[in-house]
Amino acid sequence: MKEFLRNTWKHRAHVVMALPAFLILFFIMYVPMLGISLAFKDYKTSLGIFGSEWNGLENFKFLITSKRIFLRMTSNTLMYYGIFTVVGTVLNVGLAIAIDQCVFKKATKTMQTVMIIPVFISYAAVQFIVNAFLHYDNGIINNTFGTDIKFYTEAGVQFWPLILTIIKIWKDTGYGAVLYMSVLAGVDSSLYEAAEIDGANRWRKIWHISLPALIPMITVMLLLSVGSIMKSDTGLFYQVTRNVGALHETTQVIDSYVFHAVKTSSNIGFTAATSLFQSVVGLLLMLFANGVVRKVHPDNALF
Amino acid sequence: MSKKKKAEFAPSRSEKKTFGQYVLCLVLLLYTIACALPILLVFVAAFTDDKWIAQNGFSFFPGKWSMAGFNSVLRYGDSLITSYGITIFVTVVGTLFGLLVMSMFAYSISRKGFRLAGFLSIYLLIPMLFNGGQLSGYIVFTNWYHLKDSLLLLILPLSVTTMNVIILRTYIVNSIPGELMEAAKIDGAGEYRTFFQIVLPLLKPSLAAVGFMLATSYWNDWQNAMLYITTKKKYPLQLLLVNIQNSIQFLLNNTNVPASVRAAMGGSIPEYSSIMATVLVVIGPIMVAYPFFQKYFIKGLTVGSVKG
Repeated sequence: MKEFLRNTWKHRAHVVMALPAFLILFFIMYVPMLGISLAFKDYKTSLGIFGSEWNGLENFKFLITSKRIFLRMTSNTLMYYGIFTVVGTVLNVGLAIAIDQCVFKKATKTMQTVMIIPVFISYAAVQFIVNAFLHYDNGIINNTFGTDIKFYTEAGVQFWPLILTIIKIWKDTGYGAVLYMSVLAGVDSSLYEAAEIDGANRWRKIWHISLPALIPMITVMLLLSVGSIMKSDTGLFYQVTRNVGALHETTQVIDSYVFHAVKTSSNIGFTAATSLFQSVVGLLLMLFANGVVRKVHPDNALF
Repeated sequence: MSKKKKAEFAPSRSEKKTFGQYVLCLVLLLYTIACALPILLVFVAAFTDDKWIAQNGFSFFPGKWSMAGFNSVLRYGDSLITSYGITIFVTVVGTLFGLLVMSMFAYSISRKGFRLAGFLSIYLLIPMLFNGGQLSGYIVFTNWYHLKDSLLLLILPLSVTTMNVIILRTYIVNSIPGELMEAAKIDGAGEYRTFFQIVLPLLKPSLAAVGFMLATSYWNDWQNAMLYITTKKKYPLQLLLVNIQNSIQFLLNNTNVPASVRAAMGGSIPEYSSIMATVLVVIGPIMVAYPFFQKYFIKGLTVGSVKG
C-alpha cells in the first residue's frame, strides 16, 4: 500500500494530467449510471431519482403488456445492425482496396474527396434531401419512374429498410474506407514487389497481401460494433423517417424510441426498463465478443 | 486465378495502365457521381423556382430558375448567423478541449511504472461497456446539474470518448519511442514539458485524425441540442434546420415582413426552394472547407500507420 502511494506520488504529474478526463467521465458517464435504478422505480419528477418509490418489477411488466412495441423495436434494431454491419464492412473494405489498387492517383484523390463529403452532412439536413427524392407529389423517385408510392405512409412502410440502407451506404462508405486505406498505405510495398516476382497477379496480391493486412482492423471494428448492437444511429431512424408513426413498423429502433420518450417525457417506466435491457444486453455481448477475440487474436482484444 | 501465374518483370506494376485499370476507374467514377448527385440536387433545388417545383416536382434540370429561395433565407439571416456562431464556437472549443484532455489521459495511462494506470484504463473502458442510457442522462443533467439550456451540454458529453482515447494511447505506445521521453527527462525537462513539447508535436498525425472525427460529431450533433437547448439564441445550426419548417411557417405568418418583400415573393414564401437554400447554407461551408482540410486528415491517418 505504502509503495503504491509512493508510486502514485512519484507519478503525480500523470495523475494531474489524467484528472480532467477522469472528472468528465465521472460526471457525464458514471453519475447517470445511478439512473439505471429507475428501471425498478415509479419515477416522479418532483421526487427525483432517489426519492421516487421502488416498485419492483412493475416497469418490466410493461415490456410484456407492450410486448408488440418492445419486440418490434428490438427486432428492428437487430435487423438494421445486421444489414449495416455486413454491407458496411464489405463496401468499406472493397472501396479501400479499389482506391488502393487504382493507378490514377490524382483522379482517385479527387473522387475520394467527393465520396467522403456525405459524412459531414447531418441527418437533420439529410432528411430534406431524402424528402426531395421521396416526396409523394414532387419527389424524384415518383416522377422519374412514374410510380405512385406514398413513402411516408403505411403504403411505403416496406421500402424503408432498403431506403435507410442506401442512405447509410451513401453517407458512411467513403469515410469508412479511409480507415482501411490507412492500413493499406502502411503495407510494405516490397511485399507486393516480391509477390510480383513470384508471379502473383493482381487478384492474388489482393487476396494474399491486402486482405490479410486488413484483417486485424476488420476484427477490431467488428468487435467494437458487437458491443453496440443494441444502439443505432438515432438520426437515421428519427430524423430521416421524420418519426412518422405509420413507419414505425419497419423503422423504429430502441434508440429512436427512447429519444422520443425522453424528449416528450412519456412512458418513463417503460423507457427505463427498455434502457436497462439495452445496456445489459450490450454489456454481455461486448464481454462475449472480447472474449472471443482474445482467444483468436490476443493483440486486438480491447481488454 | 492460377492460370495467370506468369511472371511479369515490370519494374513497378502500379504504373501500368491496363484495361482493368480503366474499368476500375470507371466504377469508382460512377460511385462518386452517385455520391454527388443528392448534394447536387440541393444546389439545383435551392435555385429553382418554387412554383415550378410545386407543379413539376424536384428535378436536376429545372425549367425555371429563381433566387427567391435564397432571398427568404436572408430574411431570417440574424438567427442563421447566431446559429453559425454557436455551432462554430461549440465545434472549435469542444474539439480543442477534447483533444487536450484526451491526449493527456492517453499519455498518463501509457506510462510504464505508473501503478494507477491499470485502474484508469479500466475506468476508461467501463463507460463503453455499460451506460445509464439517455433517460437517466437527461434527468441527471437537467435535474441534478441544472444545465438545461446550457452550451456546456453541447460540449462536455461529446468531449471524451473511450474509443478516441484508445486510438491516441495506441499511437503513443506504438509510434513515440519511450527513449525520447527518457532523454528529455535526462535533459531536465519536467513531465508537463515533456508532454507539451515532445509528445504533443509527435502526436500530431493522430491528433489530426481524432480531431477531425471529433469536430464532425460536434458539427453534426442535433440530439443534445434538441433535448437540452430551448432558447432560440442558443440554437446551433442543426437545431435551426430541424425547426426550419416552423421557421418558414413563422415567416408566413409574420406581419413584419414588408409588403414589398412579400410582393416580390409572389405573396408567398417559397417552401421547397427555401428549405433547400437553408440546407445549402448549413452544409455549404463544410463542403468548401473540407477539401483543404482533407490533405491533413488523410495524411494524419496514413502517416500514423506508415511510420508505425
